[in-house]
Amino acid sequence: MTDNTMQQRRAILKGAISASTLALVAASGLLLPRQLLAHWPTDAFSAETVEDALLALLGEAEIADDAALNFKVGSPPSYAINGASVPIQLESSLKNIERIAILVEKNPFPLAMSLELTPAVKLPIKSMIKIREDSPVIAIIRADGKLYKTTRFVEVDIGGCG
Amino acid sequence: MGLPRKDRIRAKLKSEDTTVRVLLSHPMHTGRAKNKDEELIPAEFIQDIRCWRNDEEVLTIKCGTATARNPYFSFQLAGGEQGDKITLRWVDNLGAKGKAEAVVK
Repeated sequence: MTDNTMQQRRAILKGAISASTLALVAASGLLLPRQLLAHWPTDAFSAETVEDALLALLGEAEIADDAALNFKVGSPPSYAINGASVPIQLESSLKNIERIAILVEKNPFPLAMSLELTPAVKLPIKSMIKIREDSPVIAIIRADGKLYKTTRFVEVDIGGCG
Repeated sequence: MGLPRKDRIRAKLKSEDTTVRVLLSHPMHTGRAKNKDEELIPAEFIQDIRCWRNDEEVLTIKCGTATARNPYFSFQLAGGEQGDKITLRWVDNLGAKGKAEAVVK
């Protein structure tokens, strides 16, 4: 092969590689992650309303508001200066907790995280989430096949969902 | 990036329960933010975190884009003793993986 054709070959190869990487990046965004990670509940995480997210994650079930949950968002509670990292803490006296879901109602994709617990795990659980604007934050616990829900309204000074 | 990425995990025995604290090092790009040149930063976020105590899987966390940058988690494990090994692995949406280990103190 001459130098010239070799050069062309390279250019074509390079083009093909960057095109495929671009395609990968596009697919790995929120467009088509299903192909990459089957175990990640795409439907739930890409749902745009709280109801859709819950339906995809937990199926239809009756949700009871419950005082057994102690849910704190923000620091001091119900307030956050920076929405990019808002501390949350969830505590409960419930037994046999199977799953916890944290949702932020006004985020582009409400479902923030979903935790699957074994009996070895005890609450409280703490973490940090992003909140775009003043919004109710919802915690849902499934324990013994029942769903318990609690909501806190949080004020955010600087939105953090960029 | 200034400092090298490092995942941190601490596990401590406290009044008969084990407290595990995890700080992962990850940018958690949502795919909606823009860089200085007004170009979208592609999504890059941790999707799946799994945690083991010795060889028993205890916790699975599925994250969406709304988990904060450098994700922090803290939780308790019932019982446990000093010397237990806590292992944590994560995978992000691009397939990058990480692992952190700690021995209960």
